[in-house]
Amino acid sequence: MTQELRILAPDSFRDKLNRRAFIKAGTATAGMAVVLMACGGSDSDSPDTTAAAGDAAKEATGDWSRVINQSSGTLAMYTWGDYDDPALVGALAESSLGVKMKVDYFASNEDLITKLSAGGGSSSGFDIVVPTGPYIVQMVQKGLIQKFDKSLLPNMVNVEPVFLSQSWDKDNEYSVCKNWGTTGFFYDTTKITKELNTWQDFLDACMGEASGQCSVIDAAPNYAGPYFWANGIDWNTEDKALLDAAEKFLVEELAQHVKAFDSYPSTKIAEGAYTLAMAWNGDARQAYFRIKDAGGTPENWRWVLGSPDTELFMDTFCIAAGSPNTEAAHAWINWILIPENSITDLEYHGYHTGMKEMEQLITELAPDLVKGEMIFFKPEEVKTMHTQVLNTSIDRLVDILNKAKAKAGA
Amino acid sequence: MTAPVATTYRKRLRAPKFALALPSIIWYLLFFAVPVAFIVVYSFAAKDGSKLIPVDYSNLSGANYSNVFDETFFKVFKSTLRISTIATFGCLVIGLPVAYFAAFKVPEKWKAIILALVVVPSFTSFLIRTVAWRIPLAPNGFFSKWLVDMGWIGTQGIQILETPLAVQVAIIYNYLGFMILPLFVALDRIDIRMREASKDLGAGRVATFFGVTLPLAGPGIIAGVLLTFIPMCGDYVTATVLGGAKGNMIGSMIASQFSGAQNWPLGSAMAILMIGSVLLSMVVGAAIVWLISWVLKHPPSISTRIKHSLHERSVSRTREGKATWFNFDVLPIALSVWTFLVLVFLFIPIFLVVIHSFNGGSSFTIWSGNAGVKWWDELFDSSVAWAVMIRFVVLFVVSVILRNVLMRTTKISRRLLNWSGPTAFLLAFIINGISTDWYETVFDFASIGDAIRNSFIAAFGATVLAVILGGFAGVALARRPGVWTKVFMASVFLILVTPEIMDAIALATWFPRVADFPIIGYPFKNGWGPFNGGMNKLWVGQSLYASAVVTLIVRARLAGLDEALEEAAADLGAPPARAFRQITLPLISSALIAGGLLSFTLCLDNAVISTLISEAGSTTFPVALLGATRSTIKPFWGVGAVILFTVTLGALWFVTVVLRRSGSSSSEIAATIAGS
Repeated sequence: MTQELRILAPDSFRDKLNRRAFIKAGTATAGMAVVLMACGGSDSDSPDTTAAAGDAAKEATGDWSRVINQSSGTLAMYTWGDYDDPALVGALAESSLGVKMKVDYFASNEDLITKLSAGGGSSSGFDIVVPTGPYIVQMVQKGLIQKFDKSLLPNMVNVEPVFLSQSWDKDNEYSVCKNWGTTGFFYDTTKITKELNTWQDFLDACMGEASGQCSVIDAAPNYAGPYFWANGIDWNTEDKALLDAAEKFLVEELAQHVKAFDSYPSTKIAEGAYTLAMAWNGDARQAYFRIKDAGGTPENWRWVLGSPDTELFMDTFCIAAGSPNTEAAHAWINWILIPENSITDLEYHGYHTGMKEMEQLITELAPDLVKGEMIFFKPEEVKTMHTQVLNTSIDRLVDILNKAKAKAGA
Repeated sequence: MTAPVATTYRKRLRAPKFALALPSIIWYLLFFAVPVAFIVVYSFAAKDGSKLIPVDYSNLSGANYSNVFDETFFKVFKSTLRISTIATFGCLVIGLPVAYFAAFKVPEKWKAIILALVVVPSFTSFLIRTVAWRIPLAPNGFFSKWLVDMGWIGTQGIQILETPLAVQVAIIYNYLGFMILPLFVALDRIDIRMREASKDLGAGRVATFFGVTLPLAGPGIIAGVLLTFIPMCGDYVTATVLGGAKGNMIGSMIASQFSGAQNWPLGSAMAILMIGSVLLSMVVGAAIVWLISWVLKHPPSISTRIKHSLHERSVSRTREGKATWFNFDVLPIALSVWTFLVLVFLFIPIFLVVIHSFNGGSSFTIWSGNAGVKWWDELFDSSVAWAVMIRFVVLFVVSVILRNVLMRTTKISRRLLNWSGPTAFLLAFIINGISTDWYETVFDFASIGDAIRNSFIAAFGATVLAVILGGFAGVALARRPGVWTKVFMASVFLILVTPEIMDAIALATWFPRVADFPIIGYPFKNGWGPFNGGMNKLWVGQSLYASAVVTLIVRARLAGLDEALEEAAADLGAPPARAFRQITLPLISSALIAGGLLSFTLCLDNAVISTLISEAGSTTFPVALLGATRSTIKPFWGVGAVILFTVTLGALWFVTVVLRRSGSSSSEIAATIAGS
């Protein structure tokens, strides 16, 4: 094996491995693969070693950095709802890293910023926070997040360079990609007979066949997005006339047809609440499983990536200013960047985690992954996706969303 | 009665009359009056997103108010008031027969049972009960499918979720208990002789109800209306969980201005207008009530005629002895059926929560078809959990056996032995606490385990504060009345009527400021002992409403007791502190325990204030659950809710037992729990 394997864990590490975690490791435990290697010091390619831990202990081939820095204490994470494999932010993190994780959820980037600001900027008590890329600029400016100590994040080399050096943080001083996703819509083909392919189709259906049965994402730029994309307008526009026109459409025309402003429609789709839902790809993918759970037929539902243009959002791991346990925060972020952990997380939330050699990782680590077409996109599709820029228009967009909500409720 | 010679031995506290209420006064000034004053200031400022506190004071104006009066926002205001008004009426119409039935038609024992059944759902997690309504109302749910199969509704299923109707139903459900209790208390206090006299004078059932019972129950009806209408106006949980776009309410709009849009000034203006419109509608309501009673007292011909004809009709009916089958048979049966249906209605979501905590699927609201303890396993470390449970059961059984043995063999008083149950519970609680590192190792999934534990710590701390503050203030109010009493009672009332969302935003914007104060700010910034700043904030936030409740309960308890005992102690030369400790404290102990446990259950369920002020490491169960409602609610939230439900139930049982032991009847217990 060619890769340089550096394990900082002491030899006695094996003993630390919580028995409970072992029992629970029926779910893929990539971390254990690392542990097993540390114990035996043997090449993971040897089938005997992996077989010992069952199917779970798979490991990707190739040149990967798998540094694990042991840490201790508690680690508080503030993230989006249902966004991480429970083992990775729970038992497995405790057994592999020695840190006890506590996870809280927020509903929007503004929620996150408000909560961090309310702590006076430096005493919120959170260690790891997960803002969406464009918000990083504002958070840095307000002093809500702190710079990484990159020497503690050697596994960052596992991330595909395309997903590093984003406009909001050129040198990844504050953030590293957690995962990225895009926006499209999901509809019930038995209820909506017309085939929908573009954002214009979505808007037409929402105001027509699916009026009163469609949901839109509850975030200001996302609510405005379909209008801009359908009309070939840059969704980051600051042009007042364009924003006025957008407001007119979104508040006066679209809002009254909207059933709910719902950022995570998957559960409610399964309950049967919507026939058409604007959704992030990972959540739409969850809807398939939920519908099946509810005894419905997921085959009746169709996922459409928004076109001609659509969103690319990237959620990032950052460390909060005044984090009580920065060492553990670094250790955990570094640990999650190990490809096996990253893919475990991917299997849970259904978003591309930005690892290198993704195709190969999936074939090796998650061959049973279903609905992969809702996670990975063709290069020509990725070209139509655009990240949000946080500029002067945001206040206006928030205002539009609020007015639309008031209008929809009237 | 007091010999003049004794007066010289009397030692009176030479302090202002409000001295005992001073802690409360300072507390309310610091954490209610001043924060709310800041909200008023914010409402005239402008948004400045670049600051940590995003408010720009440079030019104050009323622009935010005119923005609120923007046509669209105003519509949400109106729909909120409409939903709340209809729901209040709904609660009254649904609740009144139940309260009437419980007060007049059943024996004492059944009163207690009906009341307990009304109370139990009211004090379980508000949030999970609301979420649970999604289960029967889902268009793909079992109920909807059954209705479709029966051919009673169209193939699209029940279309109620994400509409104002869903909010309307759930809000009636959520507040029904708060209506029934005060109604029952008021009806139950009516002297039965009044009603008998009315009937002796020839009035029939209807005339007696409208002429005697209803006017006498007036205060209870007003209390019930206030207890339901005000929290409804500020409620945002129900609308967020069930309302979708059409069922939006002002509470969620205000909350989203603070957290979502970061527009504190606009949110402040909305909050102030909301409380203004709540007060206004109360004034209008009071005016209507006054008008009706004035009309009845100064009868113009029409109401006299109505009264007269009612009277005539019932008199003639009684004389002729007709229609007795209606009067004497059908009414009690109809009332009992109605009460039964209401109780079933109250328990539907709770059954669903319990059932769905055994859901094998991945979402709480969607029943996957296979039951299992998967999520219980996920949440609990089963070996430790079983051990904890066994220790509880064993100690409890031992205490019961010991009690029976001791009762037969020794002469220890029965009264003392009756405490063996609670003592065993406490002992088991402590032993389990020590052996599981205060329940830390019971939970497998650290986040929810922490949330449950934090809920208890927060509720316990807030309860201790509330009992101390409310106890002293209640004593001062009852024993040292003066001019200050009116002002203080007005502020207690104001705290009770302020919608929670208003307190929440006032405190959330106040704590960052207070954290920079030299001494007061220290606990909020750095915490103390094992408790972090967030926990200290939760104690303060949750203690406000709770202490007001305790104040009222203690005051009511002492007001009903003769002051002679305390005077006698003073006459015999006891210094005030000693008289307080040996006389007053035992007198109010049952009120303190009842008030304390009531505030404990209220705090345990507090979501609105806690969400806005909690921090990392102080997240409580309702806060975590509210966070999770935005995405997917996993069945382990149901498991957590069942745990909390069990504990809340235990606490309520404890209240009832303690009150029973101190000799209260079920009616008085209900009165205590209703806080009136």
